[in-house]
Formats: sequence, C-alpha cells, structure tokens
Amino acid sequence: MVDRMPVLLIAVPLGLAFAIPLFALFWKPAAKYIPPVALGFNLVVSLLLLAKVLENPLIVSIGGWRPPFGINLVAGPVGVLFSAIIALVGLLVSVYALDYIKEGATEKYHTLYLLLLTGATGVVLTGDIFNLFVFFEILCISSYALVAYLRNKAGIESAVKYLIQGAVGSSLLLIGIGLLYGLFGTLNMADIAQNIKSVSPISVFVPMVLIITGLGVEAAIFPLNAWLPDAHSSAPSSISAILSGIAIEVGLYAVARVIFTIFGAQSILPFLALLGILTLLVGEMCAFSQNNIKRMLAYSSIGQIGLILFALAIATSYGVTGGLFQMVSHTLSKALLFLTVGYMIYQTGSLQISALEGMGKKMPLTCLAFTIGAFSLVGLPPFIGFPSKLLVVRAALATKETYFCVLIGLALLGTVIEGAYFFRVVQVLYFRGENNPGREEAPVAVLIPMFIFVALIIVIGVYPKLVTDVLNSAASELLNRLDYIRSVLG
Amino acid sequence: MSFLNSYIYYVGAFGLILIGLYIILVKHNLIKVIIGLGILDTGVNLFLICVGYVAKGTAPIFSRPGTDSEHMVDPVPQALVLTAIVIGVAVLALALSLAIRLYQHYGTLNLRKIREQKW
Repeated sequence: MVDRMPVLLIAVPLGLAFAIPLFALFWKPAAKYIPPVALGFNLVVSLLLLAKVLENPLIVSIGGWRPPFGINLVAGPVGVLFSAIIALVGLLVSVYALDYIKEGATEKYHTLYLLLLTGATGVVLTGDIFNLFVFFEILCISSYALVAYLRNKAGIESAVKYLIQGAVGSSLLLIGIGLLYGLFGTLNMADIAQNIKSVSPISVFVPMVLIITGLGVEAAIFPLNAWLPDAHSSAPSSISAILSGIAIEVGLYAVARVIFTIFGAQSILPFLALLGILTLLVGEMCAFSQNNIKRMLAYSSIGQIGLILFALAIATSYGVTGGLFQMVSHTLSKALLFLTVGYMIYQTGSLQISALEGMGKKMPLTCLAFTIGAFSLVGLPPFIGFPSKLLVVRAALATKETYFCVLIGLALLGTVIEGAYFFRVVQVLYFRGENNPGREEAPVAVLIPMFIFVALIIVIGVYPKLVTDVLNSAASELLNRLDYIRSVLG
Repeated sequence: MSFLNSYIYYVGAFGLILIGLYIILVKHNLIKVIIGLGILDTGVNLFLICVGYVAKGTAPIFSRPGTDSEHMVDPVPQALVLTAIVIGVAVLALALSLAIRLYQHYGTLNLRKIREQKW
C-alpha cells in the first residue's frame, strides 16, 4: 500500500477538484471546504512518506509498465519535500480563502485552485519529461485563469500578458522535449540522463537551451520575468501567495532537475549564477521604487528567486542545501506577507503603501504577522530567513572562488536594498498616521493560518535542525545523478 | 535537392514555428497574436510528428498480417501530439475569452494602447 501512495498525492486532489462543481450543485458551501480536505490529506500522506523515502526513493510505475517504457513517479526526498510544502502552504491558504473569497464564481475559484496545486505536485513527483510538461500546463492554465479571477481591468490585462508569455515558453519547452525524444527515443528522465553522454555535446546543447528557456519563463528568471509583477499584483491575494510561494519555486525545481539530473551540465552553472545575481539586483531595485505594496512584494519575489538560482548554481552540497532552504523560507515568508497584505488592502481599499499609515494600531495582529514575515525575508534572526541566507553565504564563500565571492557580495548589496524597502513599510505601519483609530482586526479564521505561518517561521528559525536533515538528503538526490538513474532503472 | 527531400517536413515545421513567433513578437492586435500562438502550436505539433515519421510507414498495429516493424511509424510522438493539441485548445480558448473581457474593459484590442501596468 505504501508503495502506491505517491499516486494518491496526485489522484486525490485531481479527482476532488473536478468533483467540486458536482458537490456545489447540492450544497453550495461544499466548494470551499473540499480544498482544505484534499490538501490536508496530501499533507498527511507526504509526511508519512517523507520518513520512508529518506532511506530509499520510491519508484511507482503507472499501469505496471516498468521504466523506461511507462510513465513513472519518483518520490525521492526532493519530490516528497516539495509535495509536503505545497500541501502545507496550500492547506493554510485554502483555510484563509474560506473567509477571503466571497465574490464571483467561487466554485470555479476552488476548482482551479486545487488544479493548480495538483499540477505543482505532479511536476515535482513525475519521472517522465513529457509528463512534466503536461503537469506544468495544468499549473499554468489554472494560474492564467486565476489571475483574471477578479475580472477587473488590471487582472485581465496581466492575465493576457502572462498567458502569451507562458504559452510561448511552453512551446519552447515542447520543442526541446521533441528534440530530446528525437535524439534518445525515450522520454524517461533517468533513461535520457543515462544516455546523454552518448551523443555530441552540441546536439544536446540546443534542446537544453530550449528547455531551460521554456521553464525559465515560469520560474521568472531574468530577462523572462516581465509577466510576474503584473500577474502577482493583480491576482486575489490568496492566489498571489500561491503564485509567489509555490508556482515559481516549482519552476525553479524543474530547472534544477533538468540541469543537474538530465543534462549533468556543469559548464553552464557559472552563467546561471550570473543570471541569478542579475535577477536578484533587478528585482530588488524595482521593488525599492514601488508605491504599490503588492507590486513591491512581487518584485521582491523576483529578487528571492535570483538568490535561490544563485545558490543552486553553486552546485556544491552546501550550495544546493542552501538554495532549497531559501526556497522553503521564501515560500513561508512570502505567502505570509501576501496573506496579511490581502486583509490590509481589504480594510483600506487601496494598494498604495501610503494608505497603510496607522495600520499598526488598527490591526495589531495582522501587522505583527506582516512585520515578522518582512524581517524573515530580509534575513534577521531568529526567523527562518536568517539560517537560510547564512547557509547560502557560507556556501558561496566555501567554494573559495573569486567569481562566487564577488557575486555573493552583490547579493548582500541586494539584501541591503531589500531591508531598506521592507523597513520603510514597517515604519509606515507603526510610526505614521493618527494615534487612536478604532480597532478593526481581521477575522479569527484568517488569523489562524497567518499565525501558523508565524509559528513555523520562528520555530524553524530557532531550530534549523528540524529541516536540515531532509534538505541535505534532497540536495544529495539532486547532485547524485548516478544514484537517481540507478534507483529508477534498477 | 536531396537535402530538401529528406528534411522537407522539418523545414515546414520550423517555418511555421518562426512565422508564429514573428506574429507574436511584431503584431499589435491581440487576435492576431492569438492566431500567432495557434500557428506556433501547429508548428510544434508538426515537428513532433516528424520526429517519429517513417517514409511510407503504416500505423503500428502488430496484429495485422503482412506488416513488419521496419515500416511502422513511431506511435509515441503521436500520443504526445494528441496531448499537445488538447492543451493548445485549452490555452487558445482561454486566450480568446480573455480577449473578449479585455475588449469590454478597454474598448480596443491594440496591445500598444493597453499599458496601465509598467515596470
């Protein structure tokens, strides 16, 4: 039974997603209670699996066809770690959405929301490159539709931009996959990885560039990230939290899997490190000049993505562990920030930072959660951002290469800018505006998920040991491509 | 000419892909951009079919007498194209419905005039 469990991680939310409109026919509120149930199930299953796969990755062949002939799922430490994070963040955000999503076609929102997370879970678990493309499309199409959910001017415009860029990216990815199939006659990632050295490097280079470019659109790597600030700032706040916290991380996971496992391409890593730092600096500088709070958070996501890409490109076990840790810390902190900002915007009715004056006294708990999220992203102790950033910096210095040391210096410059704009918002929240406004706190149902995020941020920040074991074995799965090939093909 | 004979399908596929990309990058009208996306999709699908095509090949049905596996086309790319077509339909349908909404909000489909959001 346990050997089959990874299938359930995809099948249960997928089935329940399409059951939502059916249940909503009989009892309307059923729509909003199904996503928490499905994601809670996923969280429990992922945590059960996590202990098991730390020793041995679990390979599930669908329909009894052994790899490389059938489609297989690879539930290694990386896949199960990501599916646990997706389920955890998805669960908390869906609890938040119980109260937050009131207008519009709510059952469509919940269906698409669950489909988005199914797509993300599928991407991290699959071992077949075309299957990865299909799950990626499930993720992308549902996020295009969700960005336009509010049906206002900004939402529609950014959804159109996102859709056009995303569709071109997916086409490039598909061309790359077609070229790989032409070269190797297989779509199994482990099988391609095994044979990659048997053809000339030039003929592998073209599909690699196409695949990385295609995935890079979704992962928001500079210069392919023009859609991100629009899409993340115009979506409903719960969706912004998922897009920033999960969608782009999954894109980065796919990039890492393709580079490390399939191509084993060491030579392009310095270039990716440079792209990462460029992404970081561009994102942080644009974030600094924003007056719109959600756009500021969106640009800050670009900056964080840059840092994660840089850490992954170091490609030592320290570096990849740091990159994965930074992903976890960014997911928790940025999801928390978008959730808190969602209710502040709900109260003030404006997206401007200046409109938030005096919120610290009006909504003290929400603002406390925002402040903790912001401090964690900047990297202050005792929050989760501190150990993760420290690990990245240590990894860069441990390479003892001038190139990486110079780049991490630039990354720290980016962190200073990040600190400047987050502290500015915190100052507006607490030290501006009138002294005694009435208290209008967010409802309890919304505060609970926020404070679970806060608790996770502080607990992991104080005891990083809780996650480092898992992260270490995830990093070694990404770096040891021979082990991956052996465990899949037997 | 022999080069063209053996690679004519690839030339056609990449021609369609480049035409699609050109339309997406250059045209201002959203409907034309969506048409470009459609052409790009078609090009990619044709390319995938080319990868598995065998000249004068038949469908890979093993139970039929008198055919050998040498003259069968590869079925995997056809399965891929089937999936890719379905995905393409979903993306195009969503794009067109967004275009209707965009027109309701702005009264135009010219992407150069719709510039509320900037860096």
